[in-house]
Order: sequence, then structure tokens, then C-alpha cells
Amino acid sequence: MENYILSASAMDFFQASWPAAVLMLGLGAGFAVVLLIASIKLRVQQDPRVEEVYAALPKIDCGACGFAGCASYAKAVAANPELLGRCSPGGADAMNKIAIVLNLQISGSGAPQRPIVHCRGHKNDKTFYARYRGIPTCTAANAQPLVQACAFGCLGFGDCVRSCKFDALHIVNGLATVDYSKCTGCGACSRACPRFLIKMVPFTHEPMVAVACSSRENGKNTRAFCKVGCIGCGICAKQTDLFTVTDNLSRMNYEKYAPSEAVTTAMTKCPTKVIVYRGKTAPADVNPEEKQTAAAS
Amino acid sequence: MEYMEHIVLVFISIVLINNLVFTKFLGCCPYLGVSGRLDMAFGMGLAVTFVTTLAGTLTWLIDHLFLLGTALEVTRYVCFILVIAGAVQLVEMYLRKFFPTLYEAFGIFLPLITTNCVILGLCLFLNLWQVNDILMAVVLSFGAGIGFTMAICIMAGIRENLALADVPECLQGAPITLITAGLLTLAFMGFAGMIK
Repeated sequence: MENYILSASAMDFFQASWPAAVLMLGLGAGFAVVLLIASIKLRVQQDPRVEEVYAALPKIDCGACGFAGCASYAKAVAANPELLGRCSPGGADAMNKIAIVLNLQISGSGAPQRPIVHCRGHKNDKTFYARYRGIPTCTAANAQPLVQACAFGCLGFGDCVRSCKFDALHIVNGLATVDYSKCTGCGACSRACPRFLIKMVPFTHEPMVAVACSSRENGKNTRAFCKVGCIGCGICAKQTDLFTVTDNLSRMNYEKYAPSEAVTTAMTKCPTKVIVYRGKTAPADVNPEEKQTAAAS
Repeated sequence: MEYMEHIVLVFISIVLINNLVFTKFLGCCPYLGVSGRLDMAFGMGLAVTFVTTLAGTLTWLIDHLFLLGTALEVTRYVCFILVIAGAVQLVEMYLRKFFPTLYEAFGIFLPLITTNCVILGLCLFLNLWQVNDILMAVVLSFGAGIGFTMAICIMAGIRENLALADVPECLQGAPITLITAGLLTLAFMGFAGMIK
């Protein structure tokens, strides 16, 4: 048997296999003809713009636009151009492409929206009165008054992490931390946070500067509750009018942010180092204690 | 007359007793995947029925007219898959034209009918069971499709009610579905003693 196979020449192979080849070719040709006729008879008239719009979308089906997926959003936009700009993962890029497809004039383009967690208190920065042993979700913990001293800070049970479809959020040492390289800006986390710490911010620059605190307690209480809370001292507001202090909390005007000397000064002068960089290229946060020990030595 | 009786018996047998889903465990992917809602399950069943009838008949013809005569049985799988893929393409175009909502609801499961093993399984069984009669082949193909439709519809009906049932937490979702499928199979095993 082995000899037989070894002694088979290319000619033998061809002679043995030509009927199969002819058969397959015949079948293939037959079906090609049938399907060709069917495709002509059963052609569906579809708006060609829908496909072009779909091609411009990021195709991640995140649902941030309020539609089931990118395909249904493409169909809706093509039918009703008012829905333009709902795609936050695609951002200005996708919006411009869709506008070209639909022959629309759009003015101004927003920067991509990305979430910023307005808290920077890790587990060892915060004060706890007792150990919370209830249902391990932020929503449940938020109903308890004494789950942690700070009534405004991150609870760290990861409601936002579970809401993220892109594995772009993690609880790092008790604090929700965004992985901006994976984030698409769909905004699911900002809707999930019961304390409204995560806000969608237009990332006009990379990295962005943010006041990573939401505490509206007075300075004394904030200091007692958290080592890295905003005490509302107003030093940053004196440097630049990007910062405004209301309710013992410094807030930043994200739309107008541009890197400048004054912002850097505000960051270094901030006593609790609560003004931080956020984004893909953000440097690591400076801790107030490290700064002090560095100064002492 | 005896022949007619035989045809009817074959049909009942392929639908109930030798149901490909329950006894051969073929086509489990759509059986579990598309059986969430009854209307979708029924649509899927009809699509599969159409494809099996078409593919079963065509493959039987190809098998008997070409393959067996020219000793090309080795190409059976390739030919059959070609026929099935062509038939699925036809169904897809037809659905897209006349039932766009159903077409969207199926999504990926529609092209996946190509790889539905009920269909290829049936085409190969037609040869294995030595069906030598075109009418019998048509009845068997159609019956297999009807059997699949019945199985998937029963499953969908149970699952629709199961959604409201108090299922233990550890069994929710896929586990209880698989248990249901197993019990359903056991129930249909009971038919096996009816026709000798």
C-alpha cells in the first residue's frame, strides 16, 4: 500500500481527481448562477449612506448614544441628522466623518469626553469609623451614613467597575482609577456612581488637570477625614481664574483649561496636592507627605 | 396505500422518535442560543426547515445522480456544505427582503445556519439510512426541519416561563437551560418504544 502511494505520479493524481474537480466546479457554477439571479430578484434598496455612516462609527456597540448598537445608531442618524454627535467614543472624529457623509455643515467640535474621578483618597488616606460589612456595592454602602468618614469620597466597592464594558476602570487600593488607554468615554461609569464622583470632562489637553476631590466639608473636617481632600483654602484660585472655590471646594473650568505656568504653580502650592494630572500620559500623583519629607531632608 | 402509510410513519418517526435534536444531540447551538423568545425560535425553526428541505433534497439528488455513480463519495462533505451554504444564502436574501425585523433579530445566527449540524447531519443520515427514494428523502428532510422547529419552540416556551420562575441562584441562566434540555430529551426518549 505504501509503495502504491509513493509510486503515484502527478499524472495519476490528476487522473484520479479530475471528476471531483469537475463536479465541484459544476456545483459551484450552478449555485453561483442561482444566487446571482436571487440577488437581483431579491435586492433590498438600502440607503447607501447608512453603510458609510456605520463605517465611520467605532463599532464597539457601547450604547452611549442610546441605541442598541452602532448599526442601529447609523440607521437613525442617516434618517434624522439631529441625532449627530451622540457617539462619545467616536468623538469629534466620527462626528466630522458622519457630517461629510450626510453633507452637513457642523461648527465647532468638542474634545473627546473622558471620565475623571473627583476623589483621590486611597484606603490609607481616608479615615474610617468602623468596618462596613453590608452589601458590597457602592449604592448600598452609600445609604449607610458612617461607612467612611468622608461623605463625598469614593466608596471603592466598584459599581463603576462593573458598569465598564471595556475593562478601563479598576479599584486600586480603595479608589476607582480610570485606565485612559482603554477608556472609550461611553459614560457608563459616570451614571453608575451613586456619589456622582465621576464626571465626563472634555479632554481638551492630554493630560488634563483636575481637582480630584468632591468634599464640600469645611477645611477642618476635610483634613480630619482625608489626607488628600480639598480644604477650600483658595490658593489655587489666587494663581489663575481657572479655579473657583465655592462650598469649601475648588472647582476647575475644564473647557477653558490650557497648560500654563499659573496652573503648575497652583498644583505645587496646593497644600493637600489635590490638583492632579489625569489622562493617558498623566504623571503619578504627588502625595503631600512625600513632599514634606522631601523638604525636610 | 402501504407506501403512504410508510411515508407517514417515517415522518412521525423523524419528528418525534428520531428527532435529531433530542436523540442525536445535533443543532444544540441554535437550540440553546435562539430559544430565548418564542417568536424568534419559531422563525429560526422555519428558516432551518426551509434549508433542510432544500438541502436534503438537493444533496440526495447529487449523491445519487453524481457521487455514487462516479465513486466520488469522498467529496460528499464538501458538496453538501456547498449546497447548504448556497441554500442559507437564499434564505438570508429572502428574509432580508420580506422580513427585515426577523432578519435583524437573528443577527449572526442566520448565517450560522450554515454550520447548523441538524442540516449536514440529516444530509449524511440520508445516505447512512440508505434512503433510496426521492419522496422519502424529501419527507425525511422536511420532517427533520419540523422536528427541529418543534424542539426549539418547546424549549423557548419553557424558557419564557422559566424567566419568571424562582430558580436557585447557582442554577440561573445556562445551567437551568441545560437541565431543562436534558429533561426534555428524557421525555422524548419515551417515544422510542412506540414503533418497532
